[in-house]
Amino acid sequence: MANVAKKVSWSGRDRDDDEDGRVGETTPLLNGTGPGAAGSGRQLTPSSFLRIGQLSNVDLNEDIHELETELPRQHPNEIPHNEKLLSLKYESLDYDNSENQLFLEEERRINHAAFRTVEIKRWVICAMIGILTGLVACFIDIVVENLAGLKYRVVKDNIDKFTAKGGLSFSLLLWATLNASVVMVGSVIVAFIEPVAAGSGIPQIKCYLNGVKIPHVVRLKTLVIKVCGVILSVVGGLAVGKEGPMIHSGSVIAAGISQGRSTSLKRDFKIFEYFRRDTEKRDFVSAGAAAGVSAAFGAPVGGVLFSLEEGASFWNQFLTWRIFFASMISTFTLNSVLSVYHGNAWDLSSPGLINFGRFDSEKMGYTIQEIPIFIFMGVVGGILGALFNALNYWLTMFRIRYIHRPCLQVVEAMLVAAVTATVGFVMIYCSRDCQPIQGSSVAYPLQLFCADGEYNSMATAFFNTPEKSVVNLFHDPPGSYNPMTLGMFTLMYFFLACWTYGLTVSAGVFIPSLLIGAAWGRLFGISLSYLTKGSIWADPGKYALMGAAAQLGGIVRMTLSLTVIMMEATGNVTYGFPIMLVLMTAKIVGDYFVEGLYDMHIQLQSVPFLHWEAPVTSHSLTAREVMSTPVTCLRRIERVGTVVDILSDTSSNHNGFPVVESNPDTTQVAGLRGLILRSQLIVLLKHKVFVERANLNVVQRRLKLKDFRDAYPRFPPIQSIHVSQDERDCMIDLSEFMNPSPYTVPQEASLPRVFKLFRALGLRHLVVVDNRNEVVGMVTRKDLARYRLGKEGLEELSLAQT
Amino acid sequence: ALELAEEMVEELWDAGLPGDLPELEPECRSLLAAFAEGSAALTGCLGRRARPVRLCQGCHGHYRRLLAEYGSIARAFGNSSESHNCAKSILTSDRLQIVVTLSEFFNETWEAANCANCLKNNSEGLSNSTEEFLDLFNKSLTCFEHNLQGQATDLSPNNYTEVCKNCNETYTKLNDLYNHLQRMNRQGGEAAHSAHLCIDVEDAMNITRKLWSRTFNCSLPCSDTVPVIAVSSFILFLPIVFYLSSFLHSKQKKRILILPKRIQSNASLVNIQEKYS
Repeated sequence: MANVAKKVSWSGRDRDDDEDGRVGETTPLLNGTGPGAAGSGRQLTPSSFLRIGQLSNVDLNEDIHELETELPRQHPNEIPHNEKLLSLKYESLDYDNSENQLFLEEERRINHAAFRTVEIKRWVICAMIGILTGLVACFIDIVVENLAGLKYRVVKDNIDKFTAKGGLSFSLLLWATLNASVVMVGSVIVAFIEPVAAGSGIPQIKCYLNGVKIPHVVRLKTLVIKVCGVILSVVGGLAVGKEGPMIHSGSVIAAGISQGRSTSLKRDFKIFEYFRRDTEKRDFVSAGAAAGVSAAFGAPVGGVLFSLEEGASFWNQFLTWRIFFASMISTFTLNSVLSVYHGNAWDLSSPGLINFGRFDSEKMGYTIQEIPIFIFMGVVGGILGALFNALNYWLTMFRIRYIHRPCLQVVEAMLVAAVTATVGFVMIYCSRDCQPIQGSSVAYPLQLFCADGEYNSMATAFFNTPEKSVVNLFHDPPGSYNPMTLGMFTLMYFFLACWTYGLTVSAGVFIPSLLIGAAWGRLFGISLSYLTKGSIWADPGKYALMGAAAQLGGIVRMTLSLTVIMMEATGNVTYGFPIMLVLMTAKIVGDYFVEGLYDMHIQLQSVPFLHWEAPVTSHSLTAREVMSTPVTCLRRIERVGTVVDILSDTSSNHNGFPVVESNPDTTQVAGLRGLILRSQLIVLLKHKVFVERANLNVVQRRLKLKDFRDAYPRFPPIQSIHVSQDERDCMIDLSEFMNPSPYTVPQEASLPRVFKLFRALGLRHLVVVDNRNEVVGMVTRKDLARYRLGKEGLEELSLAQT
Repeated sequence: ALELAEEMVEELWDAGLPGDLPELEPECRSLLAAFAEGSAALTGCLGRRARPVRLCQGCHGHYRRLLAEYGSIARAFGNSSESHNCAKSILTSDRLQIVVTLSEFFNETWEAANCANCLKNNSEGLSNSTEEFLDLFNKSLTCFEHNLQGQATDLSPNNYTEVCKNCNETYTKLNDLYNHLQRMNRQGGEAAHSAHLCIDVEDAMNITRKLWSRTFNCSLPCSDTVPVIAVSSFILFLPIVFYLSSFLHSKQKKRILILPKRIQSNASLVNIQEKYS
């Protein structure tokens, strides 16, 4: 290929190559991945095999040299990680109930009363979810409080000692080392034991509720690592909160309890066997997520709305009521245990891990004139949130590409911890903002260079757990902070929080966002009253609250649930309206630039996530273009050897197989008869349910639905099942076990139509048939999630092995 | 006005309303008078000792007496017969309830000042630790005065070195004692109880500290800026090294693209490309 030809246009050339590639798969894709393979560290668009409406502008001259060295490679389809990929690692959950004959039999056998017990069991499980989630939240809270208290006391004593004698650099070293070593432990357990416990867990739970099976996400091991990790990272002084991870913890608890067993502990309590299905488990997980939110923020209604907003596809009245029950129980448990712990039992004054304090004094009220101001704050929050997300995006991309080894991740977390301490120390050291100690409720007053009897005001913000700092910013009387302090704090904390999110530690982004917002909101309030020279809008705490809401909304872009959560956390219904306005504005403004943090991370993880709707401009795509074809079908009565071979084939790791009529006459059409799942086939092979064995009158127990449930959710891999040579020639009859009525669409159905069916019913496989009921193709989650509305119209993501 | 009231009483007598007299029983009247005097005395005491704050030391006697007087009014509520019901007639028969308001005010002030903290358990006199503290406080004040007198002629602001040198011992002792008291208080008191010491002690300490570090400028912390800057810039430098080295040395993670199984007709492809390009 001549250079001249290459210089014409990248995208044009790509398209030619793509067509070459598509005609025969054996043709090596010479230039197809050129741009991707050549760039190292540059953000280049991958050359997907079907690029739609997407033109890449790549600096030609730079790439040509590198490209020529790449050309001789025969398998250059390796590209650096980018956001336009779908990982093969993730599979769907089976929300669709397989209505096979076994299922019908079981339903016939169970009488009416038994169904009523099932219903009662559901309630019992929800109560247990609530109680356990509340207790876990208490545990985290108490341990964090004590450990952080211990750490701050040690550092404070040290600083006090060295302030008098000199040698403050030792205090700095002590603080940094303490932080780094605590975070190291927290990061090691996450990086080496359970990487899925990293981060806040909200993206993972969102994906789970969306129907994506994230490996390990609801295991007991994950819960343990998550809880310990959160404690360690908060104690380690990172710019993180412990609220986000509560949602994940609640979900794991829910998934664990509802199954009545733990595969990690290898214990089966033989209870709740009825619920060992993806559908039921999803419902309980959404209850657990709600309980988690409710324990974190003391917001039971917010929790319910959170799981409805993120998860449940159907607005099921009974499910909602049960979720609400779990949330209420959870916040009540937390409340009563914490009040006993704090020594005033029956007071019930701490409903959540974070308590915004009371906002009911008269000066905290707002007037109608302030609403435009609040909306303006929403705009600021949206812009800052977008900036936060954009920075975090680049950082995360870098991390995925270069910092993927666990040891590097641990080192990074330690460095962040040390730098956080250093920044805090330097800020405190440089600050000359002293406030009298008298009459203030500072937990760890640091005097440093202030006069005796005064404390450093910067230290209340940095030398404290983030939750306490937020509450201080909301409620400290006017004049507790000087504007310079707040400005510097906002700036520093913004970058620290942005840098911290995405580290390999378990930690949430809620509290840091609130803290950033509260700091600039308070600054805004102070400057407002300064500008107007009046005392009409005296209290800056109110603006701190609005700033916190705006910042959080700008970063996470949640709407309904976040409004209610904030409202419940403040305990003031009249704030509902301004908070809603602020969050709406922040979301609108932020969405104009980049998407929300959680969605961004889902995308960066290459998760096939289905949004509410198909991309708006996709009506001209039909099922024929969307589907995967050809489909591996099984005949109704199939040879065991064929089944084993199909299942063992690593190149086609399919999970559902259409079952067609086993007609010996090949001329006749083999119509679709049903659908069978890989897991079902594996159970069948394991129990050797072969036609010949039945005919031989071997005494054989009939397979029941229970056998399938017992294997759930970790079906053994096909390699672990031994099938002898003789058995390979046996036949297997699938008609009893397959789902006889799978959902199908004709080839002409448009993408949005297919999408709607798929998303609303929570399907995993959708068979595309022609007008003779012959299987033409199969639509799965990845086929639909590929299409996305990008900056320049409809884009298509490529599949990749990760 | 007095005559008018007398007349009203007369009229009421005539109307035959013996149970509901506006006139108080004599015993009740004396109780009320005692309360009024007591509260006047306490108010005077509080006002006079507002600055510098000596409330708890000076007024605890007044306060105790007033409490007793209020108690004797209120106690009459429980056991006495109808005719001697002073509590009812004094405390609850009108909207204003001035006696209750007054007594509440005094109680609240006392609570806010946290005087109980520096009094003995039975509220008679100051507790030992407070006495000790006030002793030290007076000692340091005398020390300040003593040392200042020498330089009374030229009070240039930088010339307090003498005071700083000579009184350092007393001041440190005082400060330590205060911190000790505070720590004791925080441990002993429950979470609900405020962690404050009583206002006299707090204020005394405050004054001394202000004198010491603001006026005399004695507490000059050694600021070792150079080592702090060195250490912090070293720590801040580490991440840059880390990211650079991982960028240069770490192998970039590559993803392997998978060929999707799609329909292989060029017709549909052309169709799509026409639509979108």
